Amino acid sequence: MSRNLALLTALLLASPAAAHHSWTAEYDMNKPVTVKGTVTKVEWTNPHTHFYVEAKDEKGVTTTWNFEMASTLSLERAGWSRKTVQPGDVVTITGFAGRNAVERAVASTMTSADGRELFVGKPGQ
Amino acid sequence: MHVKRALLFSVVVTGVALTVATDSVRAQRGTNPQPSGGAPRLGGPNGPPPAPPAPNRPVPTLPDGTVDLSGLWTDGGSAPLERLLKPGELKSLMLPWALTLYESRDESLDPYNNCMPGGPLRITGGFAWRLVQHPTVKATHIFMLQEGNAHTYRQIFTDGRKHPEDPTPGWYGHSIGWWEGRTLVVDTIGLHDRFWLDSAGAPHTERLHMVERWTRPDYNTLRREVTIDDPGAYTRPFTVTYTARLAAPGNEIMEYFCIENNQYEIPTERPGARP
Repeated sequence: MSRNLALLTALLLASPAAAHHSWTAEYDMNKPVTVKGTVTKVEWTNPHTHFYVEAKDEKGVTTTWNFEMASTLSLERAGWSRKTVQPGDVVTITGFAGRNAVERAVASTMTSADGRELFVGKPGQ
Repeated sequence: MHVKRALLFSVVVTGVALTVATDSVRAQRGTNPQPSGGAPRLGGPNGPPPAPPAPNRPVPTLPDGTVDLSGLWTDGGSAPLERLLKPGELKSLMLPWALTLYESRDESLDPYNNCMPGGPLRITGGFAWRLVQHPTVKATHIFMLQEGNAHTYRQIFTDGRKHPEDPTPGWYGHSIGWWEGRTLVVDTIGLHDRFWLDSAGAPHTERLHMVERWTRPDYNTLRREVTIDDPGAYTRPFTVTYTARLAAPGNEIMEYFCIENNQYEIPTERPGARP
């Protein structure tokens, strides 16, 4: 049992979290979000890429979400590019709300309009 | 029994999810892990994958008998000091003011998270770094080029010079190096205290004298023993060991400037994002 725990701990320690800080300080893991909307801006920058998504809620109120993701190095080393997602693309993002502002969120998954998982593994996988 | 295990498990997972970058082996993979205690930020590891194992490949030796340490490396200097010593040991070595400061430090206050240079210990942060010996044989300079953090470099003089009498304290200080057999010894003074020694906020003072012993036990590995000697903050010197791994061939330093779009702890979206 303790060996499995040690193994699991080692696995979990090898997380892709940005090395310079833990994401839990900024985001609330008790507040998962799912947003489907239109990309208005892609900031292919460091320390994190940012994807701005405009979405309407059930009341018709529009919010622009700012989703933070991994560094450009992380994504480009896996074969993705600044062109993978473009303004105008419709995407569905799941993630977690920001602690200070809900819409300043972190993305955990991103799916294109035709159902492809983006930025996970390598393109085309 | 079952409930106790599950409880222990979730405590460990939560503790791990709150942990910052470690120096332990990173499972290099393209997909995100799905730890039950938390959610990953979409995207894989920052650094390049490690080189495939080559246990029989000889460590390159230079004509002057020293070891060729050059290459693109990952890891080797980011694990919190506390984790590299026995439980409780680091805190037991801290002077009272240092312990108080250490326990008060929150990562939101870490200058590193505001894109300031991380100092000579935090060479990697999960990113790549390149060791350059110039010239290769009987090098007068060794550079450690840092891909992450401030995307800057350490400069180590290996031309036999001594430290200046009273160097202006800096982020990386004054480093001189020399060979003892197959070990590169690097001696650093002249550091100010505007950075944290590690991501957990281990303190230091301008009296810090850092001695490193770098070896290349096998082709894919650099071993880095660091002695922290700072009577201003610790009751005695102590030594920790890091391991750096060779990056897979075909990888290079990539551009990374933390300062270009750092939104850490900025509560709202950037101006202009709202219609």
